[in-house]
Amino acid sequence: MTTTYITASGAPSADIADVDWAEKRYLIVDDFVGIRQLLRESLRNIGAKHIDQASSGGEAMTLLLRTHYDVVLCDFNLGEGKNGQQVLEEARVRNLMIPSSVWLMVSAEKSVESVMGAAEHQPDAYIIKPITEGVLLTRLNRVWHKKQVFREIDAAYIEKDYLRAAKLCDAQVAQHKVHEIDLMRMKATLLLKAGEPDKARAVYERLLEEREYNWARTGLGKIRMANGDHEAARQMFQGVIAENRFYIDAYDQLAAALTLLGRHEDACGVLEKAAKLSPNSVPRQRSLGNTALRLGNVQLAEHAFRKCIAIGEYSIARTVDAYLGMARVCGQKGDIKEALRLLAAAQRDFPGDLVQLRSKITEGLVYHESGDFRRARKSGDELEALLEREPKRPQTATCIEMATLLFAVGVKDAPVELLCHVIRNNHDNPVLLEEVQKIFDKARMGDEGMEYIAAARREANEIMNKGVLLWKTGKLAEAVEWMRDARVRLPDNMRILFNSAQMLINHMQLHGYDEALMIEANGVLMHVDELAAGQQRFAQLVEQLQMLIPGRAQTPEAIDAEIDALRGVEPAA
Amino acid sequence: MDDHKGSPELFMFLASTVHDMKNSISVLGGTLENLLDHGKGPEQGDPAYPQMAHMLYQTRRLSDNLMQLLALYKEVGKPTYPFEPNTVPVRELVQQVAGQARVLLESKQIALELEFPADLLWTFDEDLVIGVLAHAVNNAVRYTRDRIRLTIVERDGLLELAVADNGMGFPPSMLEAGALVGQGVNFLTNSSGLGLFFASEVARMHKRRQVAGAIRLENGGPLGGGRFVLTLP
Repeated sequence: MTTTYITASGAPSADIADVDWAEKRYLIVDDFVGIRQLLRESLRNIGAKHIDQASSGGEAMTLLLRTHYDVVLCDFNLGEGKNGQQVLEEARVRNLMIPSSVWLMVSAEKSVESVMGAAEHQPDAYIIKPITEGVLLTRLNRVWHKKQVFREIDAAYIEKDYLRAAKLCDAQVAQHKVHEIDLMRMKATLLLKAGEPDKARAVYERLLEEREYNWARTGLGKIRMANGDHEAARQMFQGVIAENRFYIDAYDQLAAALTLLGRHEDACGVLEKAAKLSPNSVPRQRSLGNTALRLGNVQLAEHAFRKCIAIGEYSIARTVDAYLGMARVCGQKGDIKEALRLLAAAQRDFPGDLVQLRSKITEGLVYHESGDFRRARKSGDELEALLEREPKRPQTATCIEMATLLFAVGVKDAPVELLCHVIRNNHDNPVLLEEVQKIFDKARMGDEGMEYIAAARREANEIMNKGVLLWKTGKLAEAVEWMRDARVRLPDNMRILFNSAQMLINHMQLHGYDEALMIEANGVLMHVDELAAGQQRFAQLVEQLQMLIPGRAQTPEAIDAEIDALRGVEPAA
Repeated sequence: MDDHKGSPELFMFLASTVHDMKNSISVLGGTLENLLDHGKGPEQGDPAYPQMAHMLYQTRRLSDNLMQLLALYKEVGKPTYPFEPNTVPVRELVQQVAGQARVLLESKQIALELEFPADLLWTFDEDLVIGVLAHAVNNAVRYTRDRIRLTIVERDGLLELAVADNGMGFPPSMLEAGALVGQGVNFLTNSSGLGLFFASEVARMHKRRQVAGAIRLENGGPLGGGRFVLTLP
C-alpha cells in the first residue's frame, strides 16, 4: 500500500494520539541559553506545560534530585564539569529516573564520543541538532512505544529471571516487527546471562545473515572466549575492529582475549589504543593501569591511573582501584610520601573495611617494592593481627594478594590459612589451584602447599558429599540444615551455594511455599550472582524459584499460555 | 594511521568552534522558523516575509554545510565515524524530513508531495539519511517553480528515495559531478560538490550482503525537472 500526500503544508504529522505529552514534566539541559529557549518553544508547541531548565550538569543534578522528570533533553557538551553522559550515568545509578522516564541525548554533531555511552547507561535516543518539532515528537513516540514493548522483559530481567525474559522477547517480536533487532539483541544478551551460549550464538548468527552488526559479531566472539577458544575469539574481535574502528567494546574484548592467551604486552597495546579513542571510561583506564603495572610499564600505568582519577571525579563509576594503583606507581618511582598520601585519600573517600584492608596491603607492597623491608614487615604484622581479630575473609583476589604480601615479608601461618580458605571456597577451580600452588612454590613451601591444597579440597568435598547423601536418602530437612552450616564454613563455595539453593527449592516443591525459605534461597542465589554472573545453573534455579511464587504460572505450558495472553493485550498507558 | 592529521589542539579548537557556530545557526534558524510560522503568512504581502524566507533557506544551507563538513572531517564512511543502522518505519522518516522542511516550503509557497509505502520498515542510519534528504529538499527549493516530490519505493530489494522538482533540471556540470561522485571519485570542486560527496559517502556506508547504497542525479523526472535519487540496500 502506498500513501500519497499532496498538501500545501506537505507534512503528515507524527501520531500523538496515544501519548499525552502535554502533561509530562520536562527538563532541558544545555549550556547555551538560545538553545534552551528554542527547545522550550518546541516543547510548548507539542503542548508541554511543565518545563524546567538547567545550564550545567551540576544544576541538572540538583533539579533531578528534586523532581522525577518524564522527559530529559540533555546536551552532550556542557562546558566545564560533567558532560551529558556523566549526568545520565549518575542519574541512573542514584535512581533519579523512574523506569518510564525518557532520556534524549542531544549533540551538535554525530561523533564517536557523543554516541558512545557506557553500555549499561545508554540514553533512550540520540538527537542531532538542529532539533525540529517533527523529529522530537517522532523520537519521543518511538521511545515511548519501545518502553512499552520492553516493560515486561525489563521487569523479568531485574528479577534475574533471564529465561522467562528471553521467551518474552520472542512473544514481542511477533507483535512489533519494528523492534525486532533490538528484541533479538536483548534475547541474545539474556541467553548469555542465563548460561545458554549455544542458543545465543544461534540468535547472533541469524542476525548476521541479514546485516553485519558489530555487536552481533562481538557477541559471537564473547561466546568463543567463554568456551575457551581464545584464539578464535581474538580473530573475531580483530575482524570487527578492522571493519569498524570506533566500536570500542571490541577493543575491550580483544584485550581480554589477549590476556587469556597470555599476550599481556599486546593486551596492553590494545587497551592503550582504546583509551586513546575513547578516554572517558573509568573501567577502561583502570584495566589499562592494572595491565601496565603488571608489565612494569610505570609511566603508562601512571598516565592511566591519573586519567582514571581525573574522570572519576565527576563520575559515579569512580573507583578506589585507581588510587591504590597510583600508590603502587608512586612506590615504584620511590615517592613513598605521595603513595601514602594517596592511600590516605583512598580511605577517606571510599569508606569501608574492605578499602582499609586493601590500602593496608598496598602499603605493604609499596614498602616492599621500594626496598623498605622493615616497614613492609610492620604492615604485614598489622595485617596478621587484623586477620586474628576479624574471622570474616575478603574476596578471593584480595585474599591472594594479601597472602602474597605476607609470604614476602616473612609471615608463615596467616598466609597459609588464607590460601586454604581460598581453596576450600574454590575446590573445583583448577586454574586457581594452580595459581595458589605457584604462590606456595615461590614461598619455598611447594610440598607443604600441595598437602595443604589436598587437605582443603578433601574437607570441602566431604562437607558437600554429606549434604548430598542426606538429600538423596530422603532426609531433606536435615540436608537443608546441613547445607546452612556448610555455607557458614565455606561462604563462597559455588557448588555448596548452588546445591544449598537447589535443596531449599526442592523443599518448597515438596512441602509447599514458605516465605522464609524463599528469602533464604533468593539470598543464596544473589550471592552466587555476585561471585560469578552468567551461570547456566543460576538461571535455571531462578526460573524454578520464580515458579514457586504463589500466583505465578506453575508449569512451562502455563508460562507459554501466560505469554500468549500477553501478546493479545495492548500495554496500558 | 592512528593519529589525526594536524595537531590535536587545532582539531579540538576547530571542533569546539564548529559546535559553537552550530548552536548559533540553530538559534538563528529556529527563531526565523518561529517568526515565519507565527507571522502573517505570504499572502498578507509583507515585503519582509519573502526576505525572511530566503534567510531561512540560506541558514539551512549553512547548517547543512557545517554538519557535512564536520562529518566528513570525522571521516564519514571510515571506521572512526559512528554508523548506526536501525529499523525505521519509512512513514516516520518521511514525517521527520517533511517536518524539517515545512516552514521553509510554506513560506516560499512550494508544495511538497509525498509518496511512500505506508507500512514499510527499512534498516538504515536514520540521522544520516534524514540529513541527506533534507539537504536534497533544500537544494530542490533553489531549482523548483512550486512543486517538490519525495518518492520512496521498494524496488528489487532496494529502497529508492527520490527528491524531484519541476524546475529547469540540473545544469550539465552538476549532472557530470553527480556521475563522477557515483563512480567513487573524490570530487569537491564546486559549491554543490560537498553535498553530493556527503550523500555518496552516506550511501556507500549502507551495505547488505555485499550490496552498497548509491546516489545519482537525473533530469526530466516525474515533475519534469531535476531528480536526486538515493538507493539503500
